[in-house]
Amino acid sequence: MLRFLISLLVGLALGAVAGLYLGWVQFPAQFVNSPAASLGERYKDEYTVMVATGYLKDGDLGGAFDRLKILGVANIPAYVQAVTERYISSSRDASDVSYLVVLAEGLGRLTPIMEPYRQLSAPVQP
Amino acid sequence: MTRYDSSGNYAPDSFSKYRRPRRPLSGWGLFIGVVLGIAGGLFYAWQVNPRIEFNTEPWQLNEADRANYMIGITLQYSYDGDLSTAVNRLLEMKLPGDPIQAVADTACRLATTGYVDNSSGVRAVRSLMVFYQLQGRKGCADTLVTLSDQLTPIPTIEAATPTLRPPATKTPTPVPAAQSSPTAQTVIIPTIRPQADFIVADVRTFCSTKFSGVIEVRVGDYNGNGIPATPIRVRWENSQSDFFTGLKPERGSDYADFQMDASKSYTVEVLGGSDPSQPLVAGPCTDPDNGQAAITSYRVTFRPA
Repeated sequence: MLRFLISLLVGLALGAVAGLYLGWVQFPAQFVNSPAASLGERYKDEYTVMVATGYLKDGDLGGAFDRLKILGVANIPAYVQAVTERYISSSRDASDVSYLVVLAEGLGRLTPIMEPYRQLSAPVQP
Repeated sequence: MTRYDSSGNYAPDSFSKYRRPRRPLSGWGLFIGVVLGIAGGLFYAWQVNPRIEFNTEPWQLNEADRANYMIGITLQYSYDGDLSTAVNRLLEMKLPGDPIQAVADTACRLATTGYVDNSSGVRAVRSLMVFYQLQGRKGCADTLVTLSDQLTPIPTIEAATPTLRPPATKTPTPVPAAQSSPTAQTVIIPTIRPQADFIVADVRTFCSTKFSGVIEVRVGDYNGNGIPATPIRVRWENSQSDFFTGLKPERGSDYADFQMDASKSYTVEVLGGSDPSQPLVAGPCTDPDNGQAAITSYRVTFRPA
């Protein structure tokens, strides 16, 4: 009986290690119904560029602000500024940079590093 | 030689388990332990202490945020008209069934809720509508939201003024002997000459202290093969410079480059064969490799129009 119990404990230890590896590394839990705040940085960046492009199209700053709220950032103008400056410093697509600069300018966050990329402007809302 | 021992018992076979030394672990005990351990480990890893959620992808979003992401896609499409990117992003959302019809269904759902109570919401739904209508899909939003801000004109019906029938004439109207048949009209469809032989296919920036403030130009054909000896023109302020691809064969037969001066704005074009690119600004940047200051460089690719 003792031999069986020792075997059981050894098996439990080996199985637990294998189970944790499978559950955390190989097949980690995948979440659904997640909020946009948990989006990966790549997708947050893409979404911010999309919103900036929408602002460039319709000049609706309030709408752009509302759309960015879902990202759950505390200070949206500061967030847009940070994304724009990161895009500039990491040499991202020039068009995306110019879209973001327009939105940053609309939110009052135009900084000197953005000045050379001010090539577009949002339409004035009626 | 007999197999009975001194006590008269029959001796076990040499391969019998009674003659082998006992294993230190029980096979069954080990097996049951491993099964229970894996089950317990998975329960802990998935339920009790799952990995912290990060790097969520758009397909994992909840319904409301998925709709917002979709609106972002169609808003960008409404500006740049890049259908390929828009569709690829919709595919990344792993929408069930036809992704474009899913856009129509989302527009329908938003149009029936308070989402369209403000002008921003209406604009967002319109961007969805424009996107799916251009792809030939329909949804209930078509009947709920108009595509323009203008009010629907109220039709005015003008009552027809009654006119008296003319009295019959006594002399019959002469019938013409022969009617000329109309000559078939010749329709000439004008063909439009392509406006340019090449288009700017891609403009990308990069920052490097080694290649600071450089415009790298590549010209290729439809198959991506480089085209050497293509004349390139760079313009800035009141100046211009012409050069050809292929003069640096170590960089490829389709390659040419130009050194910019800091803080100036340049355009690049295939001489006589394309429109000028967007302005390329030689702005400051920081080399991500070594953190040193440099001037933004550009990679411009031309493809046949």
